[in-house]
Amino acid sequence: MADPLIRLENIVKRFGNFTALNGVSMDVHAGEVHALLGDNGAGKSTLIKILAGVHQPTEGTIYLDGQPVSFRNPLVASDAGIGTVYQDLALNSLTSVTRNFFVGREITRGPRPFGILQTAKMNSVTKQEMAKIGINIADPEQAVGTMSGGQRQALAIARAIHFGARVLILDEPTSALGQKQQLEVLKTIKRVQKRGDIAVILITHNEIHAQLVADRYTFLSLGQVIGEGVADNLAGGDIRQLMAGGAQMADLEEELTAIN
Amino acid sequence: MNSTTERGGQPAGAGHLSETDRLREAGWFSRLVHRPEIGAFSGMSVILILLAIAAGDVVYNPLGIKNNLAIVAQLGIIATGACMLMIAGEFDLSIGSMIGFAGMSMAIMLKWGLPFGIGPATPLSAFLITLCLTLAIGWLIGTIVVRTRLSSFIVSLSFLFILRGATEVSFRTFNQGSTQVSGLPDFKETDFFASLLGGETFQWFYDLLFWLGLNFNRAGDQWVTGFDAKVAWWLVISIAAWFVLSRTQVGNWIYATGGNEEAARANGVPTDKVKVSLFMFTAFCATIFAATQVFDTNTADAAKGNLKELEAIAAAVVGGVILSGGFGSIVGVVFGAVIFGLVQNSVFYISWIDGSYYRMFLGTVLLVAAFSNETIRKRITGGI
Ligand SMILES: Nc1ncnc2c1ncn2[C@@H]1O[C@H](COP(=O)(O)OP(=O)(O)OP(=O)(O)O)[C@@H](O)[C@H]1O
Ligand SMILES: [Mg+2]
Repeated sequence: MADPLIRLENIVKRFGNFTALNGVSMDVHAGEVHALLGDNGAGKSTLIKILAGVHQPTEGTIYLDGQPVSFRNPLVASDAGIGTVYQDLALNSLTSVTRNFFVGREITRGPRPFGILQTAKMNSVTKQEMAKIGINIADPEQAVGTMSGGQRQALAIARAIHFGARVLILDEPTSALGQKQQLEVLKTIKRVQKRGDIAVILITHNEIHAQLVADRYTFLSLGQVIGEGVADNLAGGDIRQLMAGGAQMADLEEELTAIN
Repeated sequence: MNSTTERGGQPAGAGHLSETDRLREAGWFSRLVHRPEIGAFSGMSVILILLAIAAGDVVYNPLGIKNNLAIVAQLGIIATGACMLMIAGEFDLSIGSMIGFAGMSMAIMLKWGLPFGIGPATPLSAFLITLCLTLAIGWLIGTIVVRTRLSSFIVSLSFLFILRGATEVSFRTFNQGSTQVSGLPDFKETDFFASLLGGETFQWFYDLLFWLGLNFNRAGDQWVTGFDAKVAWWLVISIAAWFVLSRTQVGNWIYATGGNEEAARANGVPTDKVKVSLFMFTAFCATIFAATQVFDTNTADAAKGNLKELEAIAAAVVGGVILSGGFGSIVGVVFGAVIFGLVQNSVFYISWIDGSYYRMFLGTVLLVAAFSNETIRKRITGGI
């Protein structure tokens, strides 16, 4: 087995006297989709915010290519190759696809920050990068608000990859979408997986989606890892049970019928 | 053979339309009506025509044009500042008080000399020292907003009171209890810098009108000699702001900051710096407003600029700027300033209209604009 691209070791995160993460470890490999699963409040978003440099871990170490790293802020993390697609997508729906794609990293000519935007070039890069993950946009100057949810996900993913993401973090990319759009996003994830050089961390509450694309799983519950494994060794029932924080589905079903 | 089977058995009805085919390239007409300034442009056209019908002879004669454009330019200068800041998602209610403060600062220096008895002030030194002061205050307001995360509405409202109070106190201290200074020397006649702010500009336009026989008084001499310098300032500030906003990196940062601040920050946009700079820019615009007034009229008054912050915001909204930020354009604000400035000034020429209808008009137009902005926003964002 190749060395992991990114390794988390005993990550602890406390907010005041609330422990959101209590010693979480996890390996993520290039070319793999790693599903990070768990119930509401398990600490998934907190964990990826630590990876993205939004939060600092209270204890524990992150290794990138085997080297310990510390992401003081989101910029440091993204420079190191961590690309995060947040739950709220981090897009401005009132401005154009291109402006969103390049925000903060515009192609310009002239002195920063008053350099002149190279709009034509940025438009063509946007179009190309979107096409690479399977979305053809006719007009990159159209407002993002006119795009479908799946296309917005694709935009955020294409942007992260274009700007050098080696670890792509997707926080519930399918949660707000209809069935067809969900499949579009899964296809996009598959295309990224096929490239082979990018490690994807996928957070989802949908076990079917996880099973469709994931190579490896980590299950969180109340801030701790309660299970992990490779796709081939996990049965659907196990996944469902671990996702619910270890509760027995049978028990839940009994409780449900008891109400009737 | 039909196309469904050719495509390998896609379900009929669902069609072979892929999602991406639906995002068509917009035609020129669709692009035009999606522009943020379209509403303001239509409004402006209507006003221009109505005024021509109601009072064309007084509104569109040489003096009328000069006076109207002076008012429009004044409003346009501060509306540009307000617009940029609103696109970045913040408000500045201190603009009006800043105008009074800057005018006071310049007038006091021009009359009683530079601080600490360094010597008499020139228009340039009085202006530059005042600008340093106002930029510092703009920086302070912006810094308080980004540091404390308090709403800029409240922070700048505080400065509305603080600056107005400070202006009155300063005047009274220097001028034996009077809250105004008048009878300053007519610097614009003797000083080049003062003439840049308070003098005239685009004289060629009126020379041309005179030459064409459209600009003479009863004695047959040339009547109006030029536009107020503030018109040139308005154009320069608007063009610069338009360029920065639509063509440069920092312009993209301004939209991003107002549209989705967290997102902008996550993508490396220095949102706090953007906001603080824009608070300083509104302070700059207020200072230019005050300077053009002081050097034009050679007076200053503690009440100057009263309510101007609200007119500036109103002009920006009429120009298509959305209150929640992230959307708007300078071109729209130019139209917005023309609408308000023109009506504000013109109704006083039209004897059969009570001038106070202006305020009713302003309120109504604002409401209509806010509605139509919301409609445009919904159309652009697909109804979200
Ligand atoms: N900044 C914070 N300050 C205090 N507590 C926090 C903070 N962020 C998260 N928490 C707490 O940490 C716990 C884990 O939150 P987190 O957002 O990581 O959950 P999650 O697994 O992403 O849940 P979901 O599936 O609902 O998105 C929650 O109890 C949350 O209230
Ligand atoms: Mg979450």
